[in-house]
Amino acid sequence: MRGDRYPYIAWIVIVLAILAAGCSERPVERVPVKVVAAGSLLYPLAEAEAKYEQLHPDIDIQVEGHGSIQAIRQVTDLGRRFDLVVVADESLIPDLMYRPIGGSNGNYTDWYTPFGRNEMVIAYTEKSRYHDEITPENWYGVLSRPDVRVGFSNPMLDAAGYRAMLVAMLAGEHYQDLTIFPRVIGDHFDPPLTIENNGGIRTVRLPQVLKPTGSKVAVRDGSIFLLSLLEAGGIDYAFEYRSVAEAQGFPYVPLPDTINLKTDDQSDFYKKARVILGFPRFSQIGSERVGIPILYAVTIPSTAVRVEEAREFTEFFFRMSQEGGRGWPEPLDGTPVFPWSTKAVAAGE
Amino acid sequence: MIQTLQAGLILLVLFCCSTGCISQAPVSPSPDVTVPAEDYRSWTLTVNGTTQQVYSLADLRALPAATGHGFAVSTVGIKYGPYLCKGVLLTDLLERAGGISNGDQVWISAPDGYLWVFDYDQVQGNGFITFNENLKEIPSPPLRILLMYDMDGAPLSYNEGAPLRVAIISEEQGVVTEGSAWVKWVDNIEIRRKSQ
Repeated sequence: MRGDRYPYIAWIVIVLAILAAGCSERPVERVPVKVVAAGSLLYPLAEAEAKYEQLHPDIDIQVEGHGSIQAIRQVTDLGRRFDLVVVADESLIPDLMYRPIGGSNGNYTDWYTPFGRNEMVIAYTEKSRYHDEITPENWYGVLSRPDVRVGFSNPMLDAAGYRAMLVAMLAGEHYQDLTIFPRVIGDHFDPPLTIENNGGIRTVRLPQVLKPTGSKVAVRDGSIFLLSLLEAGGIDYAFEYRSVAEAQGFPYVPLPDTINLKTDDQSDFYKKARVILGFPRFSQIGSERVGIPILYAVTIPSTAVRVEEAREFTEFFFRMSQEGGRGWPEPLDGTPVFPWSTKAVAAGE
Repeated sequence: MIQTLQAGLILLVLFCCSTGCISQAPVSPSPDVTVPAEDYRSWTLTVNGTTQQVYSLADLRALPAATGHGFAVSTVGIKYGPYLCKGVLLTDLLERAGGISNGDQVWISAPDGYLWVFDYDQVQGNGFITFNENLKEIPSPPLRILLMYDMDGAPLSYNEGAPLRVAIISEEQGVVTEGSAWVKWVDNIEIRRKSQ
């Protein structure tokens, strides 16, 4: 009888071994959720991705960063199947995505959900000239000094770039000193950037190629290069989003709400500044950029492959964004909500 | 009894082997970009200068070719390359269309709606920001603008910008340039005179 038990025990061992091998060694194929996002959101998205994948090991959040317009173009003009689009300017979604997909009746999307705000600040380092003097009250005086070097992103490529110009123009209105823009930015380009005044609307028209003269002003393609230059001491101050400066650990000078492009309360004032880009880099969108509050937004394109998974990740991202924190946009009042349910979409409603 | 248990266990083993032991998430492959057929016989490049030149891909390949090392970086720091780039120099194409002078600009565009503008200095290879492979800024070595049709010894693929893409090339390896100027799918080059 005892001898009869050995085959039985051996089979149990075999089964357990197979179960263990299958569970530990067979790779679980993960569901990819493809996100295309504005560069200034890469830090919070990376945080959300790490936490979400820990909770959902069967999901693989894949984030690809671009400027906001390029992010949308990946879906609309280049035909790539992203599950989630996250941009740093809510107005871009209706402007660029509320249009029919080629060969069908439906639009790329018909909705978006805003979820956070940002604001422009002046980032610096401990090596920046006069960093121990600069305050929210005197920043423009410090940046105007001839030996202080200032940087911003290329307005042709990065919304933070034209927003830097809008801030400098609005500062002239706010402080009643119209020399701020030329002293900090405009006079240091060839040709100089001049402001037109049409009925109280200040406009700067950029040349096709922005060419700084001397070392007073530096222009780089994106934040990553601008902040690298700041870190290396190539510039003293950089116009940057608050969340990006925080995420990269730079101290910064906050700016008054009247000029930092943060709040809806000042939206009428922000509209007094306008930048006209040197050329339409994308034929699908015009060259005019008017001051408006910086509002982040998401949509799930109708071409998405993983609609339900994208929705679940977005709701998780919304919950994290409501908590805020270093490197995150400022949360809006109230939890953002989707304007639809996936169940309704699935039912064809 | 033992035989029954053994039979049951065999069935269990077979079941585990055939299905895997854990519940997997349903997976279906995400479709890739729809890539048009890589047949560019009807494709042309138009160069508008003092004269208008229209080239087929075969025409371009018959022109004197240049090669160099190209390495691009996106606005968020994603590196593309390094590549060995082969194609026609922009300066050669401009020369055939009447040449350019100081103050002129060159507008390069593609059918996807993308446009980039180079000034005279840039056409000569000057005024670009350059980085090393770790994306630290470095002084710019001599650069040239290439209309690339081959990358790493093979024709460009559609996703790489076929049949013709701008590349900023150097004789040195590891020189990274800003990718915004690397226009994909180029089909139009226009010289804008200073007086225009």
